[in-house]
Amino acid sequence: MLAEYFPILLFLIVAGGIGIALLLVGAVLGPRSKNKEKSEAYECGFEAFEDARMQFDVRYYLIAILFILFDLEIAFLFPWAVVFKQIGLVALVEMAMFLALLLLGFVYCWKKGALEWE
Amino acid sequence: MLSNFFHSWIHDPLIAHAGTFGLVVWLVLCILAIAVPVILTVALYVWWERKVLGWMHVRMGPNSVGPAGLAQTFADVFKLLLKEYFMPQAASKFLFVVAPLIALVPAFAAWAVVPFDDKVVLADVNAGLLYLLAMTSLGVYGIILAGWSSNSKYAMLGAMRSAAQVVSYEIAMGMALVGVLICAGSLNLSDIVRAQGGNWGIFNGFWLPLFPLFLVYFISGVAETNRAPFDVAEGESEIVAGFHVEYSGAPFAVFFLTEYANMILISFLASVLFLGGWNSIFPVSWGFLGAPGWWWLFVKAFFFAFFYLWFRAAFPRYRYDQIMRLGWKVFVPITIVWVLVAGCLVYFDIVGPGKV
Amino acid sequence: MSFELILFYLFATVLTVAALGVITVKNSVHAALLLVLTFFTAAALWLLLQAEFLAIALVLVYVGAVMVLFLFVVMMLDIKVEPLREGFVRYLPIGAIVAVVMLVEMLGLIGLKTMSAQALPADPAGASNTAWLGKALFTQFLLPFEVAAVILTVALIAAVMLTLRRRVGVKSQDPAKQVAVKASERVRIVKMESASKGGTP
Repeated sequence: MLAEYFPILLFLIVAGGIGIALLLVGAVLGPRSKNKEKSEAYECGFEAFEDARMQFDVRYYLIAILFILFDLEIAFLFPWAVVFKQIGLVALVEMAMFLALLLLGFVYCWKKGALEWE
Repeated sequence: MLSNFFHSWIHDPLIAHAGTFGLVVWLVLCILAIAVPVILTVALYVWWERKVLGWMHVRMGPNSVGPAGLAQTFADVFKLLLKEYFMPQAASKFLFVVAPLIALVPAFAAWAVVPFDDKVVLADVNAGLLYLLAMTSLGVYGIILAGWSSNSKYAMLGAMRSAAQVVSYEIAMGMALVGVLICAGSLNLSDIVRAQGGNWGIFNGFWLPLFPLFLVYFISGVAETNRAPFDVAEGESEIVAGFHVEYSGAPFAVFFLTEYANMILISFLASVLFLGGWNSIFPVSWGFLGAPGWWWLFVKAFFFAFFYLWFRAAFPRYRYDQIMRLGWKVFVPITIVWVLVAGCLVYFDIVGPGKV
Repeated sequence: MSFELILFYLFATVLTVAALGVITVKNSVHAALLLVLTFFTAAALWLLLQAEFLAIALVLVYVGAVMVLFLFVVMMLDIKVEPLREGFVRYLPIGAIVAVVMLVEMLGLIGLKTMSAQALPADPAGASNTAWLGKALFTQFLLPFEVAAVILTVALIAAVMLTLRRRVGVKSQDPAKQVAVKASERVRIVKMESASKGGTP
């Protein structure tokens, strides 16, 4: 197990190294000039009049929550997909029930208009 | 044969002389042998994109610097690296610097499990497919952090849009992967490719029984990488450049590299998962043409990479509510139903490893 | 010291430091990111324990999904640092009590489990972690699995109930209708005589 995953750990480190190297090259080679106008947030020439970290539509949170739930369902589907053939019909029926429940929730969201973007 | 050559000339002496440390050096060399070509491919891909877009617009594309304008993209890279490294006053300093790295690392690390040929894969892990899904889900961090740390309205808007979009299409993508998994019966990518081998060439691929999932996967891939026609995250006409509007020079180059590396990754994965990876598109019995090899994978990946550019030239940008509708109301139901259909197909032995 | 042990200590140190950082760092976004790092190193530790599927699922579900929501919330709630500091001492006793109760519960649960349940049969050689887990989940733990499905559905409905607010007076199009439009409904092609050649208008 370790022998298989160790290259991945190394890859993460090397990829980070490549990124850092690129950033360093840019930081060393690039010119620097400080300027008050330039260091303001870009808004097509308008002056920024309030903080950019504003409150957002609750819909974004809803999407994120729905995503967590569906992601969990997918995490359940993965082991099922690997073994369902060996277990047989029981597993197929089980997953049909699982997906039926999922679809039920999904239809509810749809009917309530949670998937609409206005 | 090539890998055997490298193995006996570099791997064995390294292990013999330096033990564990030698193994680490060998692995790092392998990693660079993947990462450096990816970076070069990105450069060539940018050139190819500009050429293709040019031809589709009935113009020449880059043609002055180097043969057929080929050196243009490298000139652009050097220009980007020589530009000022700039950070807005109001930005969160640490996160602003780190965000491009967080975007880049998962985009590159995902390549660790891509099988280029039979047994030519860096990390032949059992849970390869799950690992890929995990890595693609990490890509959203770079976007959110870049948008938030810039402390600029355009960046923030772009980041929020992009994050919600990426997250939505990931559901469809994950479900499509489950379909592949059902047919292959294994999470290992090499096994998935082997399950698509057979006497029917390209028709052994999973794209045939999983056709809806195949389409959903590739279109989700396009949306996941924030490419046209799903590029509202950086819609020029509305929010300038989206989450990386405040980035210039080298950090911008890193975001650019990430985006294109992801596009190429999606192209490779679509070929591996649905078109049979390194298997020939012709039946095995056709001798030279039917022989499997890495070149088939590259041909297939090139095909998908071209589609990316074609989409960009052919389609107008989607509106945001249309994107969300497509992701949630079209793709998710299709994939859920087709996962069940695929389950039945495999259960009743109509489809499966080694079958048509 | 074996290589595996070195890795274990490395990850364990990172995990502890990151976890401490989560509760001490002032900037809440930094805290959320440190939590991401904590999950990540926890996944690495699980990998060292050969729990391949669980480790990657941890990254997929917690880092890839749950923490994204956390970041959304933390970034947008516009939490000021000062008021949070003020409450720290006041909420310390309650927090400590909750922590102790949770600890006792977890220890009790683990202790009971180790006393009563026999260990699951060891991983047969060659079988992948995922397949093994899948078999256990879909035969032995069938009922908990379906209960999990019900809980997920309830969570789905609850999330919609709690967060969905319809805004009034928004001008939104219905993409479904727009997609369904046919050219014949929009464009009328009329055949008409062209104007005569020599004639003046």
